[in-house]
Amino acid sequence: MNTFSPRPSQQNILRYTGGRLGIAAVPGAGKTHILSALAAQIIHDNQLQDGQEVLIVTLVNSAVDNFEARIKRLFDNPLQALYKYRVRTLHGLAHDIVREKPSRVGLEERFSIIDEREAGFIRRESVNAWLASHSLDDYLDPALDHSKLDWVKRQQLPDLLDSLANAFIRSSKDRLLTPESLRAKLDSSFAPLPLAELGCSIYADYQRALAYRGAVDFDDLIRLALTLLESDEEFLDRLRFRYPFILEDEAQDSSLSQQRILSLLSSGRGDPAPTDGGNWIRVGDPNQAIFETFTTADPELLREFIRNNNHADMPESGRSQPSILASANHLIDWVMNSHPDPNVRTALSVPHIVPVPEGDPQQNPPDNPESIRFVSRKFTPEEELESVAKSVKSYLDSFAETPIGEQPTIAVLAPRNQRGVDVVTALRQKGIEPIELISSTSETRAAAGSLSHLLAYLADPQSARKLSKAYEVWRRDWRVNMSLRGQSPRQPPNDGEIASQSALAMTLQSELLATTSNVLRRLVYVEKFIAPSQADDWLSTIGESEPQQVIEELIAFRKIVQAWLKAVILPIDQLMLTLAQDVFTAASDLALAHKLALVLRGAADDHADWRLPELTSELAVIAKNERRFIGFSSDDSGFDPERHRGKVVVTTMHKAKGLEWDRVYMMSVNNYDFPSNMPSDRFISEKWFVRSGLNLEAEALAQLTALESTGEYDGYEEGAATMQSRLGYVKERLRLFYVGITRAKKDLIVTWNSGRQGDATPSLAMSELMGWWEGK
Amino acid sequence: MPDLTPAQRQIIDSPLDSRLFVCGPAGSGKTTAGVARLTHLLAQGVPGDSILMLTPQRSLQEPYVEVMHSPQTLAGGDVTPATLGGIARRMCDLFWPLAAEQAGFAQPDQPPIFLTLETAQYYMAHIVRPLLDSGYFESITIDRNRLYSQIIDNLNKSAMIGFPHTNISSRLDSAYFGDPAQRRVYADAQDCANRFRQYCLNHNLLDFSLQLEVFANVLWPQEIVRNYLTQTYRHLIYDNTEEDGPRSHDIVREWLPEFDSALLIYDEGGGYRRFLGADVNTAWALRELCDEQISLADSFVMSDSIANLSGGLTAAILPSQTSNVEGQTSNVDSLAIIQSHYYPELLDAVADEVQQLLASGIPASEIVVLAPYLSDALRFSLTHRLEAKQIPWRSHRPSRSLNDEPSSHALLTLAALAHPQWNIRPPKFDAAYMLMQSIQGLDLIRAQLLTEIVYRPRELTLAPFEDIKTDVQERITYFIGEQYTTLRNWIEEYRNSEILPLDHFFRKIFGEVLSQPGFGYHDNLDSVRVAASLVESVKKFRLALDLTGFGNLSGLGKEYIQLLEDGVIAASYVEAWNPQDDDAVLVAPAYSFLMMNRPVTIQFWLDPGSSGWFQRLAQPLTHPYVLSRDWRSDQVWGDADEVRTSKEGMARLVSGLLHRCRERVYLGLAELSETGFEQRGELLRAFQKVIQKTNQ
Repeated sequence: MNTFSPRPSQQNILRYTGGRLGIAAVPGAGKTHILSALAAQIIHDNQLQDGQEVLIVTLVNSAVDNFEARIKRLFDNPLQALYKYRVRTLHGLAHDIVREKPSRVGLEERFSIIDEREAGFIRRESVNAWLASHSLDDYLDPALDHSKLDWVKRQQLPDLLDSLANAFIRSSKDRLLTPESLRAKLDSSFAPLPLAELGCSIYADYQRALAYRGAVDFDDLIRLALTLLESDEEFLDRLRFRYPFILEDEAQDSSLSQQRILSLLSSGRGDPAPTDGGNWIRVGDPNQAIFETFTTADPELLREFIRNNNHADMPESGRSQPSILASANHLIDWVMNSHPDPNVRTALSVPHIVPVPEGDPQQNPPDNPESIRFVSRKFTPEEELESVAKSVKSYLDSFAETPIGEQPTIAVLAPRNQRGVDVVTALRQKGIEPIELISSTSETRAAAGSLSHLLAYLADPQSARKLSKAYEVWRRDWRVNMSLRGQSPRQPPNDGEIASQSALAMTLQSELLATTSNVLRRLVYVEKFIAPSQADDWLSTIGESEPQQVIEELIAFRKIVQAWLKAVILPIDQLMLTLAQDVFTAASDLALAHKLALVLRGAADDHADWRLPELTSELAVIAKNERRFIGFSSDDSGFDPERHRGKVVVTTMHKAKGLEWDRVYMMSVNNYDFPSNMPSDRFISEKWFVRSGLNLEAEALAQLTALESTGEYDGYEEGAATMQSRLGYVKERLRLFYVGITRAKKDLIVTWNSGRQGDATPSLAMSELMGWWEGK
Repeated sequence: MPDLTPAQRQIIDSPLDSRLFVCGPAGSGKTTAGVARLTHLLAQGVPGDSILMLTPQRSLQEPYVEVMHSPQTLAGGDVTPATLGGIARRMCDLFWPLAAEQAGFAQPDQPPIFLTLETAQYYMAHIVRPLLDSGYFESITIDRNRLYSQIIDNLNKSAMIGFPHTNISSRLDSAYFGDPAQRRVYADAQDCANRFRQYCLNHNLLDFSLQLEVFANVLWPQEIVRNYLTQTYRHLIYDNTEEDGPRSHDIVREWLPEFDSALLIYDEGGGYRRFLGADVNTAWALRELCDEQISLADSFVMSDSIANLSGGLTAAILPSQTSNVEGQTSNVDSLAIIQSHYYPELLDAVADEVQQLLASGIPASEIVVLAPYLSDALRFSLTHRLEAKQIPWRSHRPSRSLNDEPSSHALLTLAALAHPQWNIRPPKFDAAYMLMQSIQGLDLIRAQLLTEIVYRPRELTLAPFEDIKTDVQERITYFIGEQYTTLRNWIEEYRNSEILPLDHFFRKIFGEVLSQPGFGYHDNLDSVRVAASLVESVKKFRLALDLTGFGNLSGLGKEYIQLLEDGVIAASYVEAWNPQDDDAVLVAPAYSFLMMNRPVTIQFWLDPGSSGWFQRLAQPLTHPYVLSRDWRSDQVWGDADEVRTSKEGMARLVSGLLHRCRERVYLGLAELSETGFEQRGELLRAFQKVIQKTNQ
């Protein structure tokens, strides 16, 4: 068995024998480690019967792979663990459940799942259709003058309504409400609930559009899985037998319906709070519950679970240097005890983070109070960009002579995507090429990009340039190897010979790639190479001038292109899969190609007149990341900061979750992006053109809640939800700040700016830390 | 013919007035005996046209038809190979005046119109579409064509099983528990079925279900019809009784005493057509009416090791039902495992193995590659690898839609080009793909080059090859130029002549150009099959619609194309399996192979981890078990039923496959499936158990 030396708190958890257990873990506490070790232990101890599996549930696909790899490593012989555990994202699990009995929830054999992007398209269409036949004027500020009103309706309303509809639909699905059941409730409601009417109407239209495509969205998967479990006891019993142990990671991000699924599976009654039920371990950090878009998750659910069940803490973390830990801990204390608004003091909770004990393989970096800076200076937004870019540049320059494996990892964290884009621009002006981790990951883009190059060639098979590009795609593994070369921190130091041999092989590959690609680009008549007539083979004409290796490479490539050219008459999904099988080997790439194939097939079905050029540009849109395309999970961040030493990564604070860097810049920590519910704070969801400063999204959800409630006194009161939602936002932002701080291993630099109107102030939390730090 | 066992001899030589019921597992020589009995009857001077050769599905008649067509077979009138559905249709046609009024057709003085699956779909779409807009089927997620086909399926089941079609929803509803919103769809489905039936009665349309009902309820009870049938047919051979529906069994039950001789054959492991209404119980009950029951047990096909594997797998799948097969798993040499991490690697390995098997002297026709589902990408990837090794292959997918077939696309593009009056303007890509498929040896690059120069979509014209600049002509090659010119001239000529019905058009262009040497369909068996199916589908569509007076000749062709492209016509094809034709490796879904009813030496099973081996098809609007005859109306269809029937189904499938395997099964196991996910379905687990046991 592989070595895993547990920390004291982890040893405690490994004594687990059964029942429910809630674990609060701090950032960097090693949640994956402990859950993998627990799973391995259960398997080792023969606690499973024939046909039983340990179910490990996590948030994102990349974590699935991570778990698989870790657990396998804990066995000398991987066969010992074969079919003994199953790692799934919550959506993957829901899909497994629904897939077993689709027709019981009204699905046909080949139902498809649309990703968020396609769902967004469909929702947008429903929103536009609604706007075309209805008006939202009752909710607009009556003081708006005509010209402004027009502009608002054209430019602002569709976006506002879209996010409202998204929240409304997601929330309805989380409550298992269908458009029909909502309709019935609306019809019998006494009070007028115009926003719920609106939401219901768009929801119904959206669901119809999905049904027409024979598709469901991610939230439907959860909803249908839960419906299935709640309505089919025998099936539930069968699954309960199959999964006698459920280990849940990132539990703070599970929504109510997701938790109900796990609760039901672990023999509970669907209610996550009570202590009865089977073996369910939930690990999470309520302090890291942060959400970029609307979600039905709530960290309070996990806290409640921890309170009501056996529980343990995982407070040790070797990630950050002690001074950073102290800052994060102080933030917890200040929020819990001294935040001026007592209502937000539950935003963060203990345990505090403690350094790992001596002898732990991952030791905290040495303490260095000097490398924490809360920059008090008042910058304009532009000055802040300039200042951070300058700092990054001089920091990078100071490592110019350092071997790449010893260079630091660096990240700039912005509160929002747009600010991230600005940072990228500012860095480029300084001659720094940053790594963007703003929307979908670079891997997604690379894979989609590869396929789109291939399709582009097939749409224009006479083009030598595109053929050459297709060749580079075919040899993409070589290029990946090259780009990784020298950047890997794990170069074997004592194995110089092997290292230099592989370096030599890579150099040869890179030369061959360049030469071959060049030769192809110069090709005049592509058909004379790809489909030569017997007497007229272009290869024989260059046989003299090019090295044998290149000729062999060309022959191999020709064979594959010939197959592609034949495949072009296949329906697009099959074509894509065929291409993917030839150029991809990574499971993630293949899985991704499959998703892309589905998206393109859907597009082709919806647009009967589309042929390769249109489909290629559709794929190119995805590849260029103009819109968010995601894999099967709700996020897709298989991002490894270690692979980008000596570069600067730009991302949002949300996307940085789960990642760590030696040096972290946090920007825009002002009272606009991090409000504290003080009178001077402005709130991003309260639109200036909406009357009474209402947060329409929050109001719509409140109307939905009112519709659902049966109590006489919990009717809907306009404006209350707007206020309530401020609290939620303030709390989420405090956790976001906490997450940002705990991304840093050694250096932390926090800045703020005065905002677009010039009147913003540093966020209260930042001021507090600044003062506390100066006091020390 | 191999040596016959005494039991087989007894069947063959039994007197000309005997009624036999023969049962046994696949591969025990039942059909061999049936075929020999047929020859024996003929040799004894029984006139061929007095023999009825009945099977539930046409593909199952193949061994008999082969003998009937062989030169050694004596003359004396043709034996009638038929299905009961076929007889029903013929009788409806023959005795229409008798049937029409009594069955409630609105125009008994007008001729009947028989619908195919496609034309039935077409009319169903007409009826259901407006209802969808008024909120029917809102709580289910299903694409429209499958919606239509499941409603039709329900009607067919009511006819095959023998309950009033008006009881469909009450039967489905009473077995359902759970989300009440779901129940509404059953009422919707019932209403659509009722409307469809009424529409058919109003317009003299007979879909499969109505043909069978009219025959069974109206015609069969009439003496004149019965006399006609009993006088025509004196001898019955009824093979694969277990794949037929209860209503067919009812009729045979009543008919049986009238025959001079009868041979009923029952496959003990069968029942694969359950999802279409087949019922093994009512088939088994027929044995009581026979004078003698003969059981054939020993397999002529399976090696001992395969038999062991079959026993071991069945025990692993259904441990409770097979407690007496302990120790059967001692020897599973017949199982070979091909393992890989990624799917493409697996296909490489399979192709390599096939090549080696061929080199070792096993004929290609003795090898099949099976998967629970055969996706197009899989078929393409695999057959391409076989082609690269010059291994002949053929594929068989009865449920595949013509709309997804590139070669039918190409034919439709040609049709559009030949009929400018339709105003369908294929884009350049379609024209290039059509040329690529029509002209042998034309690659995509030259096809696009050629298309760009000669084809004007707006004017729908194809310019002559001579108009192309010489250097470009050279690039395209003169050989291709010649073929193109032939094709183009043909189209030009056709345009100037009188317009033909679309199926005639396809036949003509196919016969005169595409099937000729130098053209794409010349030696491409798969494409030829698709083309034949297309012709058949168009013809049936035309015949059905002609009679109802829907549109004119030219409009019909156009309408067909548009319906096909919309997917409303899910034209799928079932082709008879003809093992004589070609010596080729078969690539097919597992169930299709079973329905060909022939043994092979080697089987490859791909995707053992797929749930497709285990789970039945999810169909929210219909249900093979709840609608069956022995389902009690007070029962609820629960999860335990689902699990039990799935296990039984898988055991039946696995045993059926192995009973048709002589020597070896290769398990093609990729850690990551086609879609990049790990699969660990029930079949894989069963294999796991068998292997573990063997290693113990």
